[in-house]
Amino acid sequence: MPQKSFAVAMIDALAHSLKTDPNVVVIGAHSFLSDRGLKPEDERALWDAFPDRLIDPPTSEGVCTSLVTGAAMAGMRPFLNYGTATFAYEAFNQIMSEAANVHSMSGGQLRAPLTLHMYAGIRGGGAGQHSSSPQAMYANAAGLELVLPACPADAQGLLRSAIKSDNPTVVITHTRLLSMTGDVPDGDHTVPFGKARIAREGRDVTIVATSLMVREAEKAAETLAKDGIEAEVVDPRTIVPLDVETICASVRKTGRLVTVDEGNALCSIGSEISAQVAEHAFDALKAPIVRVARPPVPIAFSPPLEAHVTPNADKIVAAARKAAQPR
Amino acid sequence: MGQSPRDTLARMLLMRRFEEMVITLARAHKLGRQHLAIGNEATGAAALMQLAPGDLIYTTHRNHGHMIARGVDPGKALAEILGRAGGLCGGKGGTWHMTDPSLGFQSTSAMVGGSIGLSVGGGFALKHKKTGNVAVALFGDGALDEGIAYEALNIASLYALPVLFLCENNSKEGEAQTSRLATKELVAVPKALKIPCTRVDGGDPEAVALAVETALAHVRLGAGPYFLEAQLVRWPGSHQIVHEFTTGVTDVAAAWDDAKASNEHAAWHRTDPILRTARTLIARGILTRDDVTALDNEAAVIIAKARAFAEASPYPKPEAALTGAFVPA
Repeated sequence: MPQKSFAVAMIDALAHSLKTDPNVVVIGAHSFLSDRGLKPEDERALWDAFPDRLIDPPTSEGVCTSLVTGAAMAGMRPFLNYGTATFAYEAFNQIMSEAANVHSMSGGQLRAPLTLHMYAGIRGGGAGQHSSSPQAMYANAAGLELVLPACPADAQGLLRSAIKSDNPTVVITHTRLLSMTGDVPDGDHTVPFGKARIAREGRDVTIVATSLMVREAEKAAETLAKDGIEAEVVDPRTIVPLDVETICASVRKTGRLVTVDEGNALCSIGSEISAQVAEHAFDALKAPIVRVARPPVPIAFSPPLEAHVTPNADKIVAAARKAAQPR
Repeated sequence: MGQSPRDTLARMLLMRRFEEMVITLARAHKLGRQHLAIGNEATGAAALMQLAPGDLIYTTHRNHGHMIARGVDPGKALAEILGRAGGLCGGKGGTWHMTDPSLGFQSTSAMVGGSIGLSVGGGFALKHKKTGNVAVALFGDGALDEGIAYEALNIASLYALPVLFLCENNSKEGEAQTSRLATKELVAVPKALKIPCTRVDGGDPEAVALAVETALAHVRLGAGPYFLEAQLVRWPGSHQIVHEFTTGVTDVAAAWDDAKASNEHAAWHRTDPILRTARTLIARGILTRDDVTALDNEAAVIIAKARAFAEASPYPKPEAALTGAFVPA
């Protein structure tokens, strides 16, 4: 299998989509393609191949979202890249009220097959306005699919599925994943929505993590293994739809659950996973669920303050030890 | 108002030496993503030095120059950029979100168009309170791409709010243009909304001072908002994530010494507002070369002290990250 970076894997998904569907158009192409580790000749070839379908718009997130929603309703399959996730807040009405509602409000007559992509996460010095992990908000919209790829193969496969999906789909990439490399299957690789990935098998504690936190959970699992605690790391890959079955099956095996989510702990992805497990696998739990997430505070600029609130492998290890304590 | 040309140049030099120190410190402390105001000094100094107590200022991620222009303590500003406890915001804001309400600074937003929107709220409050003060929105040309700009200009005009919209246009058409307006005339937009507009050479502090004076007189009279476009020359290093001395460390002697002016940065030396202003003031006999050198040395001393303060300031305690989301009960 070829090795490639997360960023290049996503670009390959986009290239496959552009080649196979003339209705695919990319708005915000420059910040998605440039300086992302693509060979300069490959980047040039893409711009040359699709001069009318790779578009660099004004800094106008609101209307760009209306544009892709309107274009999707009228038969296109657009991909919109916002850059930093907070920039999409400029378009919250268009995402939450327009795109998310199109299909339902029309009684199923209309559809908006569009993909909204953004770079999120605590990335180092982002301060209050460039450190958001807004995934839970989009999960809460009703009508949006939500995708959180955590490795290069899934980045390519899930993005491909996002563009093929007939629903509006939000894809959130943690900025610190972009340079991660890994094996990606050859050709037009796709990964279905709603199927969790077991990133590491274990019998003692289930760690459900998303996005960058999967990597941190894997690191934590290495540390825990040295103490004889075998952690199972489950990556749901998509939050909407959510593979509750795989998560609960893992908890039934281990009896213990840690959720890891870089978003604000309050009403988070971790909250939802905890609730699902409490509802569907309560009898299997041998200890209280432990959530690892950012505390509900705006992220400060100062490096030690940022580090203090950023979930990481050490915090996951501590949480897993707590969850795995004999009772 | 009319601050003296000497004071204006002194402030411009302080702004320049500050930003050069940011380059030095960012490299030393491995911090990036600062947005420097090198090349914007004439506009910042001439505009912000003539604001009155009680005036409100709304700026952007490219705020360092505005802070120094208005008279913010450069030591506290550098400490903030380093994320230190002694910084203007205790290290919570950093380079993008420095603010100093004691000098009128309100929100410093890194969201494109953020300052325009909030300035209208400031103007609304000032009008309501009948203070005779103005709200000043500072923003780049790219902000006019955002829908909020149109909405803010419209409501400011409609309600005759006391707002000075000061656009620092650093996008020369054709080269490194960041704004994408269908019209090449930025002022066409506010003009259509019945806001008086002026365009000024943003590298000429006297022209800026005069234009701002006229604009402020209009706004303070209660005649509604005013839109001023300062046309700047973009500093060639402005796009960098980790900054370098792209045009060298400023040498004020390049204002009169042809050998120093004609090196590989000659094109920048012709347009650099610091050198331009120094040349003009020397040619008019307002300052001598020695005066300019002395002003520059004073600026360098202030900034060296600022650096010492910033680097000696400790990091905040990590637990400080958990407080401050809300006003204490």
